[in-house]
Amino acid sequence: MMPVKQYLKKTKVWKSIFRHDFTDTPRTRLLRVFGNVFLHLHPVRIAKDAIRVTYTWGQGGLSFYLFLVLIVTGILLMFYYRPASSLAYRDIKDLSFALTLGQLLRNMHRWAAHLMVVTVIFHMVRVFLTGAYKPPREYNWVVGVLLLVMTLFLSYTGYLLPWDQLALWAVTVGAQMAANSPMLGSEGPFRLPFITTSNDARFGLIGGTVIGDATLIRFYVLHCIAVPFIFSVFLCVHLWRVRKDSFSKQTGEKVDVWPHLISREFLAALLITVILFVWSIVMNAPLEAEANLNVTPNPSKAPWYFVGLQELLVYFDPWIAGVVLPTLIIVGLMAIPYVDTNPKGIGYWARMRWRRIGGLPVWYPEERPLAVSVFMLGIVMWFVLIFIGTYCRGPNWEWYWPWEPWSHRRIAKLTLKSLPNLWGGLLLAGYFLFGVPVPAKAKRFSGALHLGLGLLMSAALFVPLLIAPDADYPLRSRSQTLFEALGRSTNAPVVAGMYQLVQRGGPWIGYPLIAGLIGLVGLALGWMGTRFARLKDRLYEGLGPLKYAIVMALLLMMMGVLGKIALRLLFGLKYLLSLPAFNFNI
Amino acid sequence: MKRVLFLLFTWSLAALFAVAIWRDTDREWTRTQRRFFKTLAKGERRGLSPGIKQLIISDLDRVDRCTTCHLAVDKPQLALAEEPFTAHPGQILQSHPPEKFGCTVCHGGQGLATEAEAAHGDVKHWEEPLLRGPLVQASCARCHGDVQAIAAHAPLAIEGEALFRAKGCYGCHAVRDFGQTVSQDLTAIGSKSYLLMEADFEMMDPPHDRIQWLTSKLRHPRRLNPGVRPEHLPPGEEEVFPSAMPRFGLADDEVRALAVYLLSLTEFNPPVSYTTPAAPPAPAPVYSSAEARGQAVFERFGCAGCHGSGGLGGRHNWNGGLGQEIPSLLHVKAYYGQDIESLKELIRRGRQPVPRADPARPRTLLYMPAWADRIAEEDLDALVAYLLSLSDRLPQAASE
Repeated sequence: MMPVKQYLKKTKVWKSIFRHDFTDTPRTRLLRVFGNVFLHLHPVRIAKDAIRVTYTWGQGGLSFYLFLVLIVTGILLMFYYRPASSLAYRDIKDLSFALTLGQLLRNMHRWAAHLMVVTVIFHMVRVFLTGAYKPPREYNWVVGVLLLVMTLFLSYTGYLLPWDQLALWAVTVGAQMAANSPMLGSEGPFRLPFITTSNDARFGLIGGTVIGDATLIRFYVLHCIAVPFIFSVFLCVHLWRVRKDSFSKQTGEKVDVWPHLISREFLAALLITVILFVWSIVMNAPLEAEANLNVTPNPSKAPWYFVGLQELLVYFDPWIAGVVLPTLIIVGLMAIPYVDTNPKGIGYWARMRWRRIGGLPVWYPEERPLAVSVFMLGIVMWFVLIFIGTYCRGPNWEWYWPWEPWSHRRIAKLTLKSLPNLWGGLLLAGYFLFGVPVPAKAKRFSGALHLGLGLLMSAALFVPLLIAPDADYPLRSRSQTLFEALGRSTNAPVVAGMYQLVQRGGPWIGYPLIAGLIGLVGLALGWMGTRFARLKDRLYEGLGPLKYAIVMALLLMMMGVLGKIALRLLFGLKYLLSLPAFNFNI
Repeated sequence: MKRVLFLLFTWSLAALFAVAIWRDTDREWTRTQRRFFKTLAKGERRGLSPGIKQLIISDLDRVDRCTTCHLAVDKPQLALAEEPFTAHPGQILQSHPPEKFGCTVCHGGQGLATEAEAAHGDVKHWEEPLLRGPLVQASCARCHGDVQAIAAHAPLAIEGEALFRAKGCYGCHAVRDFGQTVSQDLTAIGSKSYLLMEADFEMMDPPHDRIQWLTSKLRHPRRLNPGVRPEHLPPGEEEVFPSAMPRFGLADDEVRALAVYLLSLTEFNPPVSYTTPAAPPAPAPVYSSAEARGQAVFERFGCAGCHGSGGLGGRHNWNGGLGQEIPSLLHVKAYYGQDIESLKELIRRGRQPVPRADPARPRTLLYMPAWADRIAEEDLDALVAYLLSLSDRLPQAASE
C-alpha cells in the first residue's frame, strides 16, 4: 500500500488537489485551516479559554450544523414532495410507507428543525449571559436576532407542507394573527379604509382568503428557497462578523485551531447526529388526517415555539398577543446591546451567589444583576407560557392538568368582566407612572409619592369591583354588580373570597376587612415602588432619558403581561380598557 | 479522551445507520412476502417478484398497496387457506377487475399503507375503516344506481334501506333530496369526520371508528348523548336533554343492515364510467282504497319515526306536553272527526313550538314539521282518511 501512496502523492493530480502534506507540524496545522475553503472561516489560532465546552456549550456551532442537516435532509425530501393539495399528503404517506428510509428522512428533518429552534434560543441565552453582545459586537447580536426570527419562520412555513390537519390548523392560528394586525389586518384595530379580507396582511401571507393550494406553493417556496436564501446571507454576515469583531473571550494562551477547535466541533456535530438519529428511529414525526377546512380539531395548537403566543391570546386581544407583543419582543431583543451600557461581564459567565432580599434567599449574579434577571425572566416566561399552552390546555382551550385526561363533554363556565374604562385607565396610568423617576425637586416626597401611587392602583382595581354595575346586566348576566357576578363565579378566587367575606360575616365585618385588604395591597405596591425607586434613579443616571424610557417601557410591558395574567386568573378581569369602536382592548 | 469519544460516536453512528437500514429491509410486508414465497414451488414463482405491489387507479385517485401482502387475491391457483394469502371469494373480481377498481374503493382502509394495522385503518387519524365481512356491501350503492339489480350480492344494503324507510327515519332525517330537517342531514353520514364524533367517542367502547359509532348510535342513541342535568352544570346554565332520537329496539342484524345503508351514504363521487344508472321510476301503485293510499303516504314520509308504527305512539319527547310523549294517532277521530280541515291545517303547518310540560325547562327537541310543500293535497286527503281509520284499532266499548 505504502509505495502506491508514495507514488500517488508525487502525481500532478494529487499535488493539484492537496497543496500541503499532512504531517503534524505547526506549519501544516496552519495550512489546514487557511488552505481549506470550508475551514478558513476559523482563525488559525484561538484563545484556549474560548474553546472550552463550558463557555459556549457549542450552541452556535450546533445551530449552524443543524441548519446544514436541514438543508441536506430537506433537499432529499424535495425529491419526493409535490406542493399541491391533492398530492402533498399522499407524498408524505409514501415517504412513511413506501420509500426506503423515507420515514427516517422525514423524522430527521422534523426533529432537527425542533432541535435547531432550541439550540438557536440557547445560543442567544448564552451570548446574553456571557455579555458577548456588548461593544463591539452589538450589530452581530441584531443579526442573530434576525436569524432567530428567520429560524422560527422557516419552521413555521415548513409546518404546513405535510398538509394534514395538524399543519393546516397550526398555520391557521398563525395566519389569523396576521389578520389582526393593526391597520393592515382586516380584523385588526385602526383598519385602513381600503383593507378587506382580500388584500390584508393575512391575504399576503397565505395568498388567498382561505388556506389552499396558493398557500401551499407560497409556503413551499418560502420554506425551500426564499427564506433559506436570506437566512444564508445573514448567516454569512453573522459568521464573518464573529471573526471581524473578534471572539468574545480572549483569555488563555493561544492554541492551534486545527486540531483543538476543529476536533471539538467535529465531536459535537457527531454527538448531535447520534442524538438526532436515535430520536428519529424511536419517534415518528406526527401526521394526522388529511387537511380539511370544514372540520377543526379541538384544540388546534400552533407549533410549540408559537404556543406561548397562542396562550397569550387568552389574556390579550389577537392584535396585541399576535402582532404587538411579538414585534416588541423582537425589537426589544435587538435594542438590548444599544441600551445596555454596562461595560462589565464580557467573556465570562457571571458568578452566582446566594443573597437575601427582604428575607428571601435569592440566587443572584454578582455582576449585571438587573440585566440578567430581566432577560432570564423573559426567557422563563416564554417557556412557561409554552408549557401551559402545550400541556395544560385541552378542548376549547380549557385548563387541564398534564395528568388529566381531556374531555369534549366537560362544561366549564368562565365569568369574565371588564373594569369600567375610567378605573381601568387609572390603574394602567398608575402602573406606568411607577416607571417614571421621581424629579429631583420632589425627592423628599419620594416615599409618600410611591405609597400614594400604590394606594391609587389598589383603589383603582378594588373600588370598581365593589361598586361598578355589571355592564352585561340584564342581557346576559344574572347579577347586578361586578362584585356579585365575579363573587359568584368559580374563576375569580380573590373576588369570590371577598364576596364570601361579606356574605358570611355581614357588611359590617366584610367591608372593613376588604378596606383593610385594599390598604394592605396599596401599601405593599407602594413599598415595592420605594424599593424600586433607588433602582430607577440609578438607571436614569446611567442611561439618560431616551435609553431609560426604552428600557423602562419594555420592562413595564413585560411585567404588565404577568400582571394581566394574574388579574385574569385571580380577579376574573377581562379588560382594563376597552374601546370596541377601535377594536382596542387591553 | 477525544479519541475515545471519536471512536464511540462514529461507531454508534455506523451502528445506528445499520439499524435503520435493517429496520427498513426487514419490514412487516417483507416478512409476509417471504412467508408466502416459501410455500410456492419453483415453477409457481415465475412472474412473481418481491417488493411493494401497488394498483394505481388514477380515475379514482387512489393507490392501493394491499396486494403487497394479499399476494394471491387475484391468483386462486396460488391461494392458501390462511390470511392474507387467500383468493378473493366469489366471482366479483371478474366484473370488477382490480386494475380498474383497486381494493379500497370497496373495502375501505388505507391503501397507501404497507403495515397491516395502518392499512386496515385501525390507527388514529385514518377515517376510512376497513369494511369487514358483510359491511363491504355498503360500497355497492356508491356506484350502482340500482342496487335492486344486484340484490343477490348486497342483501344487507337493500334491507338497510328498507328498514330506514320502515322505521320512519325520513320523518326527521333527510338523505339527498328526500326527508325532513328536524334532525341531521344524513346525505354524507358515511364520511362524517371523526373530529365531530369526539364527544361521542368518550361514551363508547373502542374501536373509535365510524362503524362502531353508527352501531352504538342505532342500538341506543341516548347512551352516546345522555344530556346534562342542571345539577351537573354551572349555576344558571340551561339543562341539556338527552338525544331526542327514539330507541327503536333494533335487533343486531337490523343494526348491521342499517349501518351498511348509512355507511353507503358518502361524499364519494365516482366517475361516470364507474356508475350504473338508477332504476327507472316504478309505476305509480294502484291502491284499493283511500285508507291504503293514506297508509302508504304515512309510511313514505316517515311519520312512524315519531308517532310509532301504525300511529301507535309511545315515543318520548323531552319536556313535551301530553306526558312528554309524542301523541299517538289512535284518537285522531275523536279529536278531529268533526273538523277535518283543522287536522289538515295542522299537518300542513306542523306544530312549532310544541307545548312544554314544564315551561321552565328548555323547549322540546322534536316537533311536528310543516308538510305543506311535501305532501300533495290528494295524498293529504288519503292520509287523513287513513288517520281517521286508525281508531278502529282501539278496543270497542263492551256495551256496543
